[in-house]
Amino acid sequence: MTLPLLLFMASAAAVILLLVWAVRPPRMSLTTEEALEALSQERHYARLPQILQSLREEDTEFMRARGQSDLLAQIREERKRIALRYLNYLLEEFQMLAECSRVMAKLAPELSAKGEFERLKENLRFALTCRSLQWRLRLGLQPWDSFGTLSDMAGTITLQLESAAARLGERALQATGSGSLANQGSSNSQ
Amino acid sequence: MVEPSYLRDLTWAVTALLQLVVLFFIFRQKLFRWHLAFSAYILATFLQSILVVSAGRYWGVQSMVYFDIAWGLQGLILCARWLAVMEIAKRVLASYTGIWKLASSILFVLCLAIVVYALALSENRWYLAVLNADRAVELAMAVFVVGMLVFTRYYRLSMSDLERQLAIGFTLFSCSWVITNSLFQSPSHTSQTWWDFFQILAFFATLVIWAKAIRKALQYAPRIPAVLLPADRLGELSLETNTRLRELNDRLNHLLHSKDSRT
Repeated sequence: MTLPLLLFMASAAAVILLLVWAVRPPRMSLTTEEALEALSQERHYARLPQILQSLREEDTEFMRARGQSDLLAQIREERKRIALRYLNYLLEEFQMLAECSRVMAKLAPELSAKGEFERLKENLRFALTCRSLQWRLRLGLQPWDSFGTLSDMAGTITLQLESAAARLGERALQATGSGSLANQGSSNSQ
Repeated sequence: MVEPSYLRDLTWAVTALLQLVVLFFIFRQKLFRWHLAFSAYILATFLQSILVVSAGRYWGVQSMVYFDIAWGLQGLILCARWLAVMEIAKRVLASYTGIWKLASSILFVLCLAIVVYALALSENRWYLAVLNADRAVELAMAVFVVGMLVFTRYYRLSMSDLERQLAIGFTLFSCSWVITNSLFQSPSHTSQTWWDFFQILAFFATLVIWAKAIRKALQYAPRIPAVLLPADRLGELSLETNTRLRELNDRLNHLLHSKDSRT
């Protein structure tokens, strides 16, 4: 068996593996109504400063000075556990926002390949950074740098969604001029 | 031991019968109204097997006339299969204007790249030219269908079970074709009869998937066009998403600055 033939067979096998992944139902899928509802729910990230404050060493350092090392360790362990749970919420929240951006993509009349690729990259990076943050917390390392990275990513996705929303807004305005958007959509699809 | 040619002929006969069964299901469910290209493809494969067997009996399977007829028909079948695949892709993606434009251009470029890759990787022997071209197109088709399914999953687009099963069948058949084609070209390849047998078997397995899906197609509903929001609801969604993301961003930025002031 020559190398090219092996490569062909490997390519076919890779396509089959990708097929197995692609036909699995996604973990989360929102309708437009559900996206709206999800956006109006309570935001977990509002608790972020308190969580980070609780992770600061100086916040609990006075206990050591008072000779309460056992209590200090217990409190830090408890706070770390809460922070880890909080990170899961944060990840879920970001994924929900990504879902909303997909809902908007479905409605968009035009999508830029570069923009969509960037957003996919941001989503993957956010998930990876959250995971690394979880490991940093578990290993007792300070998570500040990773929070900075998450901040940058959230900024990027905000800009992308804003520009998508602006395009949709323009379309909505046009549609208002000539009946509802739904009517416009159905006439387009014919 | 069973003769390979006997096994091949038996598989061929059973497959031809199954093709008739699939055609019967298509007509009973009136599926041709929604999937005309797919229905035409199944009919064409049935006619192909009848014509190829007749040509083999009349001219002999070693003759040049038989070779021309067999591969000429295979070319036509490939075109019919592409049309059927495109029909599914259009039904699934075309309701979403932005996604359809993006996906069709990406998939087109991807398919071209796959054909170039496959041809560049193939051996440069003239008698393998038809096989190599066929394999390149089959691989491109498998990548196209899987690419379409990836888009569908990524954007959470709705897809009927029938369309999903048809797409799975097309991918598995194309991949099995690529694998058997490569095995046939290997130095220790098995006989032509075994090659025929495996390819017929792969098609048989694909037909089983399709027959099951079409039989259940009583539950099949014609594609519902994508529901587009009225302008005010759309504005509301955009506003909510932006506000929420801005808040997330502000919070995280605040944290970033508090870190800076700390250090």
